[in-house]
Amino acid sequence: MKFGGVTALNDVTFDVKKQEILGLIGPNGAGKTTVFNVITGVYQITSGEISFDGNSLAGVKRYRITQRGIARTFQNIRLWGDMTALENVLTATDTHKKSGLVSGLFGLPVSRREEKRDKARAQELLDFIGIGEYADRLAKNLPYGVQRRLEIARAMGAEPKLLLLDEPAAGFNPAEKVELAATIRKIRDAGYTVLLIEHDMSLVMKVSDRVVVLDFGQKIADDSPRNVQDDPRVIEAYLGVPEDAS
Amino acid sequence: MINLRDKGAEIWERQGRLGRIGIAVGGVAMAAALPFMGGTILNTPIADYESVLVYPIAMYVLMAIGLNIVIGKSGLLDLGYVAFFAIGAYTMGLLGTKTSLNTWEILPIGIAMAMFSGIILGVPALKLRGDYLAIITLGFGEIVRIVALNLGALGRSEGIQGIPTPPGIFGIEYAFDSHRIYFWTLLILILLAIWMVRRLSVRRAGRAWESIRQDEDAAELLGVPTFKYKVWAFVLGASVGGAAGVFYASKTLFIAPDNFTLQISILILACVVFWRYGKYLGCNSRSGNSWLPTGSNSFLIRRPSARVRLGVGNHDESSS
Repeated sequence: MKFGGVTALNDVTFDVKKQEILGLIGPNGAGKTTVFNVITGVYQITSGEISFDGNSLAGVKRYRITQRGIARTFQNIRLWGDMTALENVLTATDTHKKSGLVSGLFGLPVSRREEKRDKARAQELLDFIGIGEYADRLAKNLPYGVQRRLEIARAMGAEPKLLLLDEPAAGFNPAEKVELAATIRKIRDAGYTVLLIEHDMSLVMKVSDRVVVLDFGQKIADDSPRNVQDDPRVIEAYLGVPEDAS
Repeated sequence: MINLRDKGAEIWERQGRLGRIGIAVGGVAMAAALPFMGGTILNTPIADYESVLVYPIAMYVLMAIGLNIVIGKSGLLDLGYVAFFAIGAYTMGLLGTKTSLNTWEILPIGIAMAMFSGIILGVPALKLRGDYLAIITLGFGEIVRIVALNLGALGRSEGIQGIPTPPGIFGIEYAFDSHRIYFWTLLILILLAIWMVRRLSVRRAGRAWESIRQDEDAAELLGVPTFKYKVWAFVLGASVGGAAGVFYASKTLFIAPDNFTLQISILILACVVFWRYGKYLGCNSRSGNSWLPTGSNSFLIRRPSARVRLGVGNHDESSS
């Protein structure tokens, strides 16, 4: 992935296995969010390949990628503030609706049925994430922690197979982080595959089944959390090398 | 300062189902009774009160509801809305004078023509956003007017004259000076447009529009086919504008390019903005709690003063 003369990602190859939590870490500017943007179609790759379920995602429209089963959260919260929490999730569930504008206008049975089904589903997701009581509040009026969790619920509303979480714990206190770790595991156990970007190492190491480390747009490690922690290249990327060693 | 809108919303919120029906019916009844209110005092030398109720007030309210779908709900700044009004009006003018079709038969054709032009404009223009979209739509509004000004078949600057009034329907006769009848017919069209918007607001389309307005990229990434719904917003907005145009031509009997200037686009835009981006039309899809009936009434009543403030009284001459 290149932006003009800047190579943001170079030779980054990894795969995500079904029902695993894959942690994606790296120092600031390593290209983690760029990976997300490439997967979800925000950026078109300049070379290389991305495939999902055996189909290439190159050149696929962004909403179609979501329809195929990839949904994400945003590092800087991007909820639709003037909609309620429930409507935020409901909008994502619309991804898989068959009924569109015309059947909605005339209140055809298919539209009503889907509307009812998805409302129940959206509420279920909010409860699952633990913010069910906020369903009827406007998203912009919700406390910060709830907004972060609503981002996850909204992404799950699109019924993805692969859920991309972009720093879901940013700004959380330690207690909230523990809670979040449990939630992420719960999501995996519910059958989702999770790709997680996170700066908080203890959280990543605790929940991930496997960790990929990026540095300056290149993959420098891909292993179990334990091995990654001991990898000298990873330590070097994060802490630098003592002068006498080099 | 007391905010009447929020106050009204609060009252609406507190009502049960029966109370809301009561408010709605009362609101519609009040709007329908407008022709009987204060006729003689409000007459001016250039237009009498009842004809002002039809054009511009009811006509503008109808168009504002249409434009509200585009601007208020979807957040797409359309500065050429008058184009759809013109297309509806010219469809009526052309078919009404050249064929034996009557207004009621031309109404769906005019709406279809406007919707079609909504697609023609929307498909290329909606690839752009914000200011760029505004400029393109502004240009489109001018293009339509200038085409009408130069095309022989559309009468050039002379326009089209002798457009027939609507024939009687359900035993109601439409004489050219029976303003009340026109007003009530427009009121029905307004209610239909409101029904359409409110209906869509609480469903998928409304949520799609709302999410596009608030964060288009996030919407697209969460599976909303944004382009499709933006074109739909244009098309539905255009349909309402087209309906207003057909009715306008049939009421005033004479249309010319001068009736469809940029000024009208801006005026309708001003209506939507005064209306504060259409919160009233169930645009906040929030549990369908919009208190539209009271909103539209106060709007109807407020309109004359807004007209004075904006200095658009000169349009009355061509209508009466």
